[in-house]
Amino acid sequence: MTNSIAELEDAACIFIIGSNTTEAHPLVANRILRAKQKGAKLIVADPRKIHIAEFADIHLSHRLGSDVALINGIMHVILAEGWEAKDYIASRTEGFEALERVVRGYTPEKVSGITGVPAEQIRAVAEAYARSASSSIVYAMGITQHTTGVDNVKSLANLAMLCGRIGVECGGVNPLRGQNNVQGACDMGALPNVLPGYQKVTDEAARKKFEQAWGVALPSEVGLTVMKMMNGLHAGSVRALYVMGENPAMSDPNSHHVREALSRAELLVVQDITLTETTEYAHAVLPGVSFAEKDGTFTNTERRVQRVRKGIEPVGDSREDGWILCELSRRLGHAMELEPASELMDEIAGLTPSYGGMRYDRLEAFGLQWPCPDAEHPGTKYLHKDKFARGRGLFHAIEYQPPAEACDDEYPMQLTTGRSFVHFHTGTMTRRSPSLDEEQKDPFVQMHPEDAEAHGISPPGQVKVITRRGSISLEAKLSARIPKGMLFIPFHFAEAAANLLTIDALDPIAGIPEYKVCAARVERE
Amino acid sequence: MRELLKTRVAEMLREGRVDGVVGLIESHGEPLPYLFTADDTAALERISTGELQGRLAELIPGVVRYPLGKILTAVARKHPDKRFGVMCRACDERVVFGLFQNLQLDPDKVEILGLPCKEELARACSCPAPAPRSAIVDQPSREAWDRADLERIDAMALDERFAFWVEELGRCIKCYGCRNACPVCFCDVCTLQDDGLVKKGEIPAELPAFQLTRAWHMVGRCVDCGLCQEACPMDIPIRTIYRKVRSIVGELFDYFPGERDGGKSPLEQLGDGSFPIQ
Amino acid sequence: MRYETIPTTCSYCGCGCEVLLQVLDGELIGVLPSKASPINEGSLCIKGWNLHEFVVSERRLRKPMLRKGGSLVETSWEEALDEVAGRLAKIKSESGPDSIAALSSAKCTNEENYLMQRFVRAAIGTNNVDHCARL
Repeated sequence: MTNSIAELEDAACIFIIGSNTTEAHPLVANRILRAKQKGAKLIVADPRKIHIAEFADIHLSHRLGSDVALINGIMHVILAEGWEAKDYIASRTEGFEALERVVRGYTPEKVSGITGVPAEQIRAVAEAYARSASSSIVYAMGITQHTTGVDNVKSLANLAMLCGRIGVECGGVNPLRGQNNVQGACDMGALPNVLPGYQKVTDEAARKKFEQAWGVALPSEVGLTVMKMMNGLHAGSVRALYVMGENPAMSDPNSHHVREALSRAELLVVQDITLTETTEYAHAVLPGVSFAEKDGTFTNTERRVQRVRKGIEPVGDSREDGWILCELSRRLGHAMELEPASELMDEIAGLTPSYGGMRYDRLEAFGLQWPCPDAEHPGTKYLHKDKFARGRGLFHAIEYQPPAEACDDEYPMQLTTGRSFVHFHTGTMTRRSPSLDEEQKDPFVQMHPEDAEAHGISPPGQVKVITRRGSISLEAKLSARIPKGMLFIPFHFAEAAANLLTIDALDPIAGIPEYKVCAARVERE
Repeated sequence: MRELLKTRVAEMLREGRVDGVVGLIESHGEPLPYLFTADDTAALERISTGELQGRLAELIPGVVRYPLGKILTAVARKHPDKRFGVMCRACDERVVFGLFQNLQLDPDKVEILGLPCKEELARACSCPAPAPRSAIVDQPSREAWDRADLERIDAMALDERFAFWVEELGRCIKCYGCRNACPVCFCDVCTLQDDGLVKKGEIPAELPAFQLTRAWHMVGRCVDCGLCQEACPMDIPIRTIYRKVRSIVGELFDYFPGERDGGKSPLEQLGDGSFPIQ
Repeated sequence: MRYETIPTTCSYCGCGCEVLLQVLDGELIGVLPSKASPINEGSLCIKGWNLHEFVVSERRLRKPMLRKGGSLVETSWEEALDEVAGRLAKIKSESGPDSIAALSSAKCTNEENYLMQRFVRAAIGTNNVDHCARL
């Protein structure tokens, strides 16, 4: 998030797009609903009438994957009405002319044709967003998990900059991170192209700094992303895969392809707390521990580095994940120290500029938000104050592109996936939790009652959902919250794994798969 | 007050009157629930009344409260032979009395250390009976609870009242926090999770089945501590529902759970003798 | 007899709610939301309130395992680590470090992610490290 969770409460307008906030990020949703009670305008853009849309002043039910068109349409209205922040654009941004040229073509009427949203609603959203005292954009995987994921995010940044909403209190473009420490894993350089602190592996000076600290020469070529690793396993160019605390056999799109890749690995090592779909293919399984059995830090969605504290001893003969890594590293001839965790953070702080002032004694009560470059720095509530990290904020002129897979006679419906309020990801944690399992035991597909009727489906009934990748059987839940022609499946259930159906088409830049839309059909079982 | 509390806890432990005292300790920069024991006297230096220190005091008004009665019940179940002290504001004391009345705690094994609340705090909490009976210091008399919230809703026309609750309860994300935080919710099997009564796997929690089921179970039980509402992530004024229930039982039976030591719930007297639920 | 609460950070979504682990005689019996946390302010969602349940699940792995004759068999740490390190070293020497890849974890701590990418880059010698940021 460019801004902080608590700031949402005081925003005058909140625009949620691609986030089922009350189900997936409840403790952010409460701030948004509090803002609403204080009089804020709430806009929710989601094809489904999700729970938080019940409280929206405007709910936009745009077609799956039509986000760029929708946002361009909103910007078109803002420019046509002269509501843009002219001083801000002049003093803090560049590339405006190119944006203006593209956006000119996206009249509300044209956009209405692409998105299915009435032109009047597009005008109303433009007015609310541009003319409120402060406006904040909140998004999640509904924006990013598309072949146009990067375009979608850039479009939101365009909209925010156009109205001078970045670098100000209660504004910003605020992605809600799905995993507790996905922010931290990125910050720590668990990515193929960057070292900790987003320092490029191709940058010689950055590499040199780490080479000195670790006493070893480092590779300078960008490595493989998850999907490329899977392709490498298929091709034989990758022989060994080490997986720590993930479940790609279940979580990655087009699972058949992934499982085939895993089965070809000459060595698959899985470090996890339970057996998973992925361990079925493993040659070695190393029991790590849960968050409750170790010390460390997580970094949340608002960049807050927070303490994780050990409450109990490791279960059985399981071991801290860091200990396992250090033991293996030592055996491969590179010594790393795990203990004490506070000194490891000092090492990280020394090498990662945005974490420069992070020390365990400073993190005691509720942590610090990065960037926090030195020991005196109080942390950063919102980013890009006065100037952007790169100097001037860059507008990107972006044209709308349809999703990778279009509907046809054979697959006439659109399938999207997401989270339920009860479960988390592949269910390795929540489905092992008796209370949560009891709340929601079985997989289901949400569909419109008229679609069900057209297919002769009357609940409780099992249906088969089929795509070009595979098919699964599960219960149909009828709801008018979902538009006609659309199916929604939560991705938590191994016995009806949504990712056997999803398409592995990727965003060309970020490599993110298009989990949020593919063509499908449904049949009565 | 903190010094006096520390002295009293030290005394109880030293004299062996109790084996442990449930209270709050200042740790990692915040007050946290803790069991003080005789072999751990250093911890006493950090005993807390729940007041926040430093920048936190600016962020959060009032004091930090935890379901200490519920914690005491869990510890006492595991250690049935031990004797305990427990730090109690007036609300916590009602909890403990309520747990005595419902046979969840043994009054002979529990000693209460009552802490009176400052007047502004009692008012902010709309406390129904702000003075603990077992206070460790003399306390000024306090005004009883403010019924403004109940009166406001009772004064609404039926349609308006219905619309009010549909709007408020529509925000529920079914976290079960109201039940989980409730110090007098002690059943091993919870009716809120009964398929036949409340639909599962949907938010908002089924309306009105979820809230009515919980309200029924608060009859003769709710001590009006307000921890349910503090736990509600959606700021739903649920305490008002249970206050209503409590006021009805009060009017019918002149029984206010937890407001005195001893006595039985009228429901228990009316029932078939299947109480207590163990 | 010992009861204490240890403040820590929830391991589900990215909100970063602070939870208190309730530990009674060394056993994790439940969690409470931190009342002082500026993020969750004394509240949690359904997942947060049940955070302790998966930790103490019967299905937790308790011993390292190696695949022997087609099935996973429990073994000692010494054997498991030697075996994994030995096979990684062999593949590295035969096909070079880029024939090895690793997935780190958005569920693990910053410190562990740091160690993982250091292990991959410094001990194995490749930048083939990623995690589920896109999932």
